[in-house]
Amino acid sequence: MVRAMAETPETPPETPDAEQPKADAAPARRGPPIEVAEEVLDERGEETAALLKRVVATYVLDSGGRGDIPWVRVAPENLVESARRCRDDGQLGMDLLHCLLAVDYVERIELDYILFSLKGDRKAILKVDLPPEEPAIETVGGLWEAANWYERETHDLFGVVFTGNPDLSPLLLYEGFEGHPGLKSFPLHDYEEW
Amino acid sequence: MTTEAQHDTVDMMLNMGPQHPATHGVFRMVLTIDGERVIDVTPHIGYLHRGSEKLCEHESYGQVVTLFDRLDYVANLNNELAFCRAAERLMDIEVPERAQYIRVALCELNRLASHLLFLGTYAIDLGAMTPIMYGFRERERIQNLFESVTGARMMHNYIRIGGVKEDVPPDFVPRARAVLKDVRKGVDEIDRLLTFNEVFLARTKGVGVIDAATAVSCGLTGPSLRASGVAYDVRKDDPYEIYPYLGFEVPVGHDGDCWDRYYVRLLECHQSIHMVTQCLDQMEPGPTMTQRRRIARPPKGEVYVHCENPRGDIGVFVVSDGTDKPYRVKVRPPSFCNLVALRPMMRGAYIADAVAILGSIDIVLGEVDR
Amino acid sequence: MRARAGEAVVFGMIVAGLLGILGGLVLSVGALGTPERVTLEVLAQLATVLIVLFTLLAIVVLTLVWLERKQLARMQSRVGPTRVGPFGLLQPVADALKLIMKEDVAPGTSSKLLFFVAPLLVFVPGFVVWLTIPFARDVVVRSLDMGLFFFIAISVLSIVGLVLAGWSSGSKYAVLGGIRAAAQLISYEIPIIMTVLTVAMLADSMSFVVVVEAQRTVPYIVLQPLGFVVFFLAGLAEVGRTPFDVYSAESEIVGGPFVEYSGAHWAIFFLAEYVNTFVIGAVAALLFLGGWSWPFGDLPAAAGVALFLGKTYLVVMAIFWVRATYPRLRIDQLMSLGWKVLIPLSFAVVVATAVQLFYDWPRWTLPAMSLAVLAVPVVMQLRGGRRRALAEARRYAERAVVVEAKPRPQRPQEPLEPQEAGA
Repeated sequence: MVRAMAETPETPPETPDAEQPKADAAPARRGPPIEVAEEVLDERGEETAALLKRVVATYVLDSGGRGDIPWVRVAPENLVESARRCRDDGQLGMDLLHCLLAVDYVERIELDYILFSLKGDRKAILKVDLPPEEPAIETVGGLWEAANWYERETHDLFGVVFTGNPDLSPLLLYEGFEGHPGLKSFPLHDYEEW
Repeated sequence: MTTEAQHDTVDMMLNMGPQHPATHGVFRMVLTIDGERVIDVTPHIGYLHRGSEKLCEHESYGQVVTLFDRLDYVANLNNELAFCRAAERLMDIEVPERAQYIRVALCELNRLASHLLFLGTYAIDLGAMTPIMYGFRERERIQNLFESVTGARMMHNYIRIGGVKEDVPPDFVPRARAVLKDVRKGVDEIDRLLTFNEVFLARTKGVGVIDAATAVSCGLTGPSLRASGVAYDVRKDDPYEIYPYLGFEVPVGHDGDCWDRYYVRLLECHQSIHMVTQCLDQMEPGPTMTQRRRIARPPKGEVYVHCENPRGDIGVFVVSDGTDKPYRVKVRPPSFCNLVALRPMMRGAYIADAVAILGSIDIVLGEVDR
Repeated sequence: MRARAGEAVVFGMIVAGLLGILGGLVLSVGALGTPERVTLEVLAQLATVLIVLFTLLAIVVLTLVWLERKQLARMQSRVGPTRVGPFGLLQPVADALKLIMKEDVAPGTSSKLLFFVAPLLVFVPGFVVWLTIPFARDVVVRSLDMGLFFFIAISVLSIVGLVLAGWSSGSKYAVLGGIRAAAQLISYEIPIIMTVLTVAMLADSMSFVVVVEAQRTVPYIVLQPLGFVVFFLAGLAEVGRTPFDVYSAESEIVGGPFVEYSGAHWAIFFLAEYVNTFVIGAVAALLFLGGWSWPFGDLPAAAGVALFLGKTYLVVMAIFWVRATYPRLRIDQLMSLGWKVLIPLSFAVVVATAVQLFYDWPRWTLPAMSLAVLAVPVVMQLRGGRRRALAEARRYAERAVVVEAKPRPQRPQEPLEPQEAGA
């Protein structure tokens, strides 16, 4: 039972080391101003980015990248189709779902599908933004078998529901664990189990 | 007297683990068996889940390195390197060349130690008692070397963001050469005893076959993927640190069975020895830590870095919000992804094969569960 | 309720059977003669004999345990036990004491009666066979005319114990182990019977003593090498040792029938395993290595015993050597080895021997035939898996992707700065 969660579902916990400042605005912070890294693609990355934009085409909402890994943001409903195109395109050929992860930006949950092409040695990231309340997206399990466990893990830790995934039972957590520990709103220390 | 009319057989559920000698930690698989045949397998993980990724969000960048030590606890230095590279990429830090040589030499030694452990435990899984003694004997020499360099045998915390903690001791090069000489002999001993042993061949040839397409689809990486015939090695295809200056071979299997996975690792041991030797030859004196002072707070941004770990391709995704703690750290643990391939490998296997197959993908539960 | 009653009946039958075997044998112990009436005095004598025997047995087992640990250690570049007693000789004693003092746990789902009687059922046959094994011509508790037959008949009984142990433990691993034990031991009993039959044909007797006397000039391993190989392999399987330790496979079914046992009952299984190992070694020494005899005339009894023990330990050490070398076979491979290789070979042995004896061919034809038959599986094996694997390994070298080292860019010599402490 996660008591802290049950009692204060909305407000972030009041522990000193919780990530309060990050969620809120910068003014509370002290210290040097926050720098923003330049997003610069190298030659290889530009090439992949061009291919990626051609393949995903109209679905692209936003794009960027760093080093040799470009990224494009697509709408949740277009994700599976974009991923399929990335995988099946002759030149891009993203045959390996290297990683699937979620980042909790509090106002949104971002899913990153990190795709690799083993033959062409290309890397790319597909990004999707989901609403923090009841995040749900279609599974990519039909494209890569590897997706199943990543999705279960993301479901465990972030509560993202992957529709179409045959088995979303807890993978890393135990049966009956309440809450989603990956979220920023989940306290690091002050919750009780058992 | 009533006689039972039906003589239907029912499948039996056999619960292997979480406490079982062949699961290499707290891993549990539920086998559905018909006699001695495995019909289906359901892996259950999470018994060692410590929330490492969440913990990383509450530690400063320098401290996160210690958490990475505890992921793959038989290849600690490789993990440290993965995170440090991510952080360095985030902060745009150039690492001094000597530090890179030390890093690569130690990582390859650690790969060697990890593979030696695999060779031994795999033999134990198959019922051969002796190779693990040879493997541990040689691994012990490497551990002693690590101890002289980092002060610790397992949780080194030696590779730091921007370089390494301190220079290696003055006698490192001759000591490492002596260790390599012994280890080469030890690996050969295991090779002679096990590789072409009739019973070993019978137990591993054609067992747990996975073809290249399925392997890639399952996200299999590292030696297990190369055993299926896909010549993908991060050190070759996306070289980092000073790997471009090292010459080596990437052994590639063909059938993708347990024997191939074993033999690829065995050959990699020799390649690692070769690489460390080259590092020792090329190493030149110099600084071992970047001269840049401010390495605590990276600019806002995100980065994804991947390295070749002994078990496969480790990926580290770090999101920075400009503060001194990472906003999000995600590890792509190779063992976790390799475990996905367990199910396709195990169809139609025997109970004894289940153990052989699980052993052949060489999982470390600290990394699977994080 | 009915299950309990059935259990009780089985239990009663087992106990009666055990007592019958033991009592019948001991009552007919040679040294005592066959007493007219069972008096207290006779019983006391019996007890003495049993105690002496059991002590001897314990000593043999303890030395075997020590020997195995030391030998394995040496083969694995370790030192083995060194702490307890000189050269660690007392280590097995310490282990035994520890086991006896441990709590005896039975799982809640087990059938308690059978669970606790099963170890005895495994141990007693080995012990009983032991009574009939001659150490030298006159150094034997009970020399039976049908010694070979008795050995086969009694040693099979331990299968029942293993199956019972597996079934009564109420654990799936144990059940699997019990079933594996039944399949394995029954299959491998046939080659043993056949090779023993060959020896009986050669010696024209089923008495151990006569068999040994017949080997005074030429041990049967020379006459019938194939027979010895088959007997040795089947014997390995019979005592469940690597590479045939399928029914107790530690890394698969965690000890099989023994998985739920602890303390003294586990110790009995342990004892039984070593007694059986010793018995197989001893029988091999008697049937094929000439027991206490050697080709250079008669030996005094003490020297004969020493020679016999030496030969026995040689076989036993070979068993340990195999253990240090080989992985475990899979159950289907084990069965096919038994049924497709060892059983046909053992029949070939019998036929070859019968032909040689019947047509009275010269004696050298027997080893010639034997070796010719033995060559078949050896050659098949050499041409088969191993050669293919070696060829495959060569292809690895061709397939390997070679990564060339790039030349290192010459960097301008940087002035060596004193290192600052890390950030």
